[in-house]
Amino acid sequence: MSSGRQRRRVVPDYMAAARVSVPEHITVERTTLVYVAPDVVADGLDPPASHLLTLLADGPLSVYECAAHLGLPYCVVRLLVAGLAAGGTLLTRDPPPADLPDLEILELVISGLRAL
Amino acid sequence: MAFARSDGRISADHVPVKLVIAGPFGVGKTTIVNALSEIEPLNTEEVLTQAGTLVDDLTGVNEKTTTTTAIDFGRLTLPGVVLYLFGAPGQTRFQVLWDELVRGALGVLVLADTRRIDDSFAVLDLVENAGIRYAVAVNHFPDSPQYPSDALRKALDLDPRTPLLVCDARDPVSARASLIALVEHIRELVLS
Ligand SMILES: Nc1nc2c(ncn2[C@@H]2O[C@H](COP(=O)(O)OP(=O)(O)OP(=O)(O)O)[C@@H](O)[C@H]2O)c(=O)[nH]1
Ligand SMILES: [Mg+2]
Repeated sequence: MSSGRQRRRVVPDYMAAARVSVPEHITVERTTLVYVAPDVVADGLDPPASHLLTLLADGPLSVYECAAHLGLPYCVVRLLVAGLAAGGTLLTRDPPPADLPDLEILELVISGLRAL
Repeated sequence: MAFARSDGRISADHVPVKLVIAGPFGVGKTTIVNALSEIEPLNTEEVLTQAGTLVDDLTGVNEKTTTTTAIDFGRLTLPGVVLYLFGAPGQTRFQVLWDELVRGALGVLVLADTRRIDDSFAVLDLVENAGIRYAVAVNHFPDSPQYPSDALRKALDLDPRTPLLVCDARDPVSARASLIALVEHIRELVLS
């Protein structure tokens, strides 16, 4: 784990300059799966958004992976995804609530791990 | 290219499942996440203020008073589910980050080191306070003293039902066995 006083800017200038529109209610979190909506025209998007769409061209990824691949902190990519999802460019799949886990999901995890 | 990727195995039908690996400094969290993960270790950063709260919007993210913390992160795609593994720092000064990482998690695998049993207390307190389901895996090092499991349970003050395993964090088979024990335990709790 590395931590320390931050010297460089956490958010690169292109990101700070991007017009990220953020919806009021954000459900996006670290393990939310993100994918590109069908028939999306990627023209005219800001650089971080178009990088994100390029990244997702091969299929869904979690928000956390998107952040790592884009080299941006999670808190920034969360807002980026939320804005693009609100605008219909991205679709998301939220993780299921964990307080009472679904037995079917537990079985999938157990059998999947056993089969590896 | 910074955002190149080599996989494409997840589909929109996969259910994302979060699991947290916790433990004191140097216990093997990074090692076990890497042993389990199908993807190269990714470096993702969490931005915290000096007061230890998480920065969750763009205002303030470039302030001088923020620090970043790299989080271990791994992925395992299984039929129908995609497991996301997060290594959580055990220090209580990361309480806010801890709360965020365990929120929505299916369970926590707590790694312990028998050379430094006391170091695990703070982590077990965090897990208990979060009210999250967990199992304990002792990561065995060459110079680790061997204790009977009863003595370990007593030292760690574990509930008799909480799984206590021994693992080698470097070995994917052993690491997966620990995860299986954790999820089987969660299934038992759900069924009971
Ligand atoms: N012999 C042995 N060495 C291990 C094992 N697991 C981890 N190590 C070594 O122990 C050291 C610490 O492991 P890490 O995985 O970095 O521990 P960590 O919990 O991520 O540490 P921090 O992030 O600093 O808290 C590394 O040098 C590992 O190679 C194990 O099962 N057996
Ligand atoms: Mg580590």
